[in-house]
Amino acid sequence: MSTYQFLIRRGLQGLLVIWGVITVVFLLRFMTPGSPVDFVAPLDASPELRAQIARNLGLDQPIYVQYAQYLGSLLQGDMGFSYIRGRPASGIIFLRLPATIELAVAATVVAIIFSIPLGVISATRRHEPADYAATGFSLVGISTPNFWLGIMLILLVSVGLGILPTSRRPIGLVPAMEMLIFQFETVGIQTWIRHMILPAITLGTYFTAMIVRLTRSGMLDQLGQPYVKAARAKGLPETLVTYKHALRNTMIPIITVLGLQLGTLIGGAVITEFVFNWPGLGTLIIDAINVRDWPIIQGALIVIGVGFVVINIVVDALYARLNPRVSLE
Amino acid sequence: MPEATEDRISRRNYLQFAGAAAAVGLAGCAGEDVDDLEDGDDVDPGDDDGIDDEENHLHITQTQNPTTLDPHDHRETTTDNIILQAYEFHFKRDLDGNLVDGLVTDWEIVDDDRYQIEIREGVSFHNGDELTPEDSAFSINRVVDADVGNLESPQRDQLAGVESAEVDDDGHVLIHTDGPNPMTFANLGSYCPVVEEDWIMDRDPEAIAEDMNGTGPYQLEEFVDGEYTDFTSFPDYWDGEAEIASLRIDASSESSTRINSLRAGEIDVATAVPPSDAGAIESDDDTYIADAPSTRILMLPMRYDVEPFTSQEFRQAMNYAIDFDSIIENVLSGFGDATAQPTLEGYFGHNPDLDPYPYDPERAEELVEESGFAGAEIELVVPAGRYLQSDEIAQACVGYIDDLDNVSCDIDLTDFGELTGILLDGDIETTPPFFLIGWGNTTFDAENNLLPWLTEGTSQYTFVDEELEDLILSARTEVDEDEREQLLMDACARANELAVFVFLNREYLIYGMNQRVDWDATPDEYTRAYEMSLR
Repeated sequence: MSTYQFLIRRGLQGLLVIWGVITVVFLLRFMTPGSPVDFVAPLDASPELRAQIARNLGLDQPIYVQYAQYLGSLLQGDMGFSYIRGRPASGIIFLRLPATIELAVAATVVAIIFSIPLGVISATRRHEPADYAATGFSLVGISTPNFWLGIMLILLVSVGLGILPTSRRPIGLVPAMEMLIFQFETVGIQTWIRHMILPAITLGTYFTAMIVRLTRSGMLDQLGQPYVKAARAKGLPETLVTYKHALRNTMIPIITVLGLQLGTLIGGAVITEFVFNWPGLGTLIIDAINVRDWPIIQGALIVIGVGFVVINIVVDALYARLNPRVSLE
Repeated sequence: MPEATEDRISRRNYLQFAGAAAAVGLAGCAGEDVDDLEDGDDVDPGDDDGIDDEENHLHITQTQNPTTLDPHDHRETTTDNIILQAYEFHFKRDLDGNLVDGLVTDWEIVDDDRYQIEIREGVSFHNGDELTPEDSAFSINRVVDADVGNLESPQRDQLAGVESAEVDDDGHVLIHTDGPNPMTFANLGSYCPVVEEDWIMDRDPEAIAEDMNGTGPYQLEEFVDGEYTDFTSFPDYWDGEAEIASLRIDASSESSTRINSLRAGEIDVATAVPPSDAGAIESDDDTYIADAPSTRILMLPMRYDVEPFTSQEFRQAMNYAIDFDSIIENVLSGFGDATAQPTLEGYFGHNPDLDPYPYDPERAEELVEESGFAGAEIELVVPAGRYLQSDEIAQACVGYIDDLDNVSCDIDLTDFGELTGILLDGDIETTPPFFLIGWGNTTFDAENNLLPWLTEGTSQYTFVDEELEDLILSARTEVDEDEREQLLMDACARANELAVFVFLNREYLIYGMNQRVDWDATPDEYTRAYEMSLR
């Protein structure tokens, strides 16, 4: 099977998954107590006015009719109008999406920069202080709740030392890069980096700790393989044996986990966004849940679901590329 | 082995990459030249609109961003706080909540169902157009009439009793009501911001939700939905240009984020500071606490038609059972006032002769015995995390009641939206028998505390007593001020005697302030930058 055929097949499977996500997310609203009418209607609204508002919002239709209408709208790229904001949900969601993607990617970059070297060092210096330090960090990183770590970093680094901002995202990566490229101004990218560091570390710490463990165990496994002994017997430098041969084979499961975790980070950055006042999808979903703004909730969850599916397909394709022994079949 | 050389990640290569990454990070951390961005957060070097003039710039962080900029299409205080920088009500209020001249310069009751206001001349909207009486009438009609202004306003109940408004031949605005309505002027001092008719009618709802054109002291500079709203002072404001030239309001739901931003000097005002954090702010040299009693009262309504709350003795026992002074001291760190009636001190109709029920658990147990409901098992439904320390207050109340020998009490934390839904559906049968709720009333008039909860037929009533209802409904139509005040005071006394609620506390507004900002906090929950100055 060619890569092209593989992508088409996985794309079709992905569509089925997305349809499942849409259906489950749609049905969620009927299993959740509280009606959006309560947040839209005047306090003294008569039952007739409440019914009228429900009609205006399309909530008086049978579930299957609402479902069909929603699917039809989605096919046209229409996620409906926010009940509370009165504006298209898609516009509100896609305005927030870049912030979440930036944060997830930055956290992944933090994880890659720190975790793989730490994992390799830990494996190649087994039972030495560096190994204990790396595994200790891994244990602490996995055990530390995001909200606590975020608040502590803010207190120490921002309030205590005053070297980084506490929160917010005054500029996005794209406008910052535009300033850099077209106006030769570095102030935008500096600001972006300053505001990104603490949220990225907070979100990426758990991820880093996990990859350290994965890298360490993978490297230990690979370093015991016969081909490594053969490479050493040939007289190859240890650095080359470690990074060229053992690490490359260790990277296969790491890439898989990285991809899956990136999807998780996009949907799971809620706490970090909350603590750092990061204007992403997570805070949007929380605000929308509080007022039962279902078009926003549904739209945001679907966007996250689509992102997850796309990342998985990319990871699968990359997996085959990295390891030719793995068939696309 | 050329291939190996290309793909090789040597220790030196890695150190080079790591060094580059660290350099980028340090560049981000260190640059003094970007510090200026942190407060104004303006990163456009070509922008000369003054937002980044830190000397005369104010940054307020509240709990939620606005859901819209349409002044008539929302119900949230946090949205109002944005909107009221740029829009104005018909009246202003002084620090005691009394109506004073604003966009209205004269007002009088023409007869029982006609109320007249005179609109100030020479007032400009931000787009330069002059305010007219027609704009005032249009604003009122847009709220009360779904056929006006392309909007079914969720604020209609805020002008209860008002049917329409029109401009008479003399240029006065005549407000028509469905009968005697002494709350007409008070409501216009707390609700219904004035908009320009042409500006509204020339735009679709989406445009109105993202732009502003009021008569207020600040004009919209930039609105980034979900992130921030920037204002600059309006030089032609009729009451004099604002002292502070530019303003940013953004939001952070997490209180620690707001407080840390304040302590780090990134913002000037943080709203809704938890009492437990007030000490840390006060102890910091650069910050201080500003507080004011709010317009919101917390209470535990008890349904009059469900046992054991059918018994007046039992309801009184619930009030005697709770040591509210201790709750104010220990849970609210002193930021609260105990209440004895459904309305608040300083409100028209507040009865100054009533004292809170004292803490007397023995008396409470006696009353429970007298009620015939000894051994009752009750449950308090609480909207989780909704009000200032309300979960902790509720837990303390439940603890005190449960400590009585002859009553057991549990707590049920629920979602606010879920509770709102069953409270407002107009069916008392779905209302929990015993629950916690906060009720805000910015009209400074007791009627809006009494009527919704204590008269049959409203969407959320929990208690009916013939004598009490007569007093409230009489006050609703009594236009003689003294008579009306007495009726409301009598209603409050009756509500106290009947123990219609477990009377909890008046919520306090607690703000964290940068020392450079001078401001007397007001009870209405709005942080109007116009009232602030910089030291």
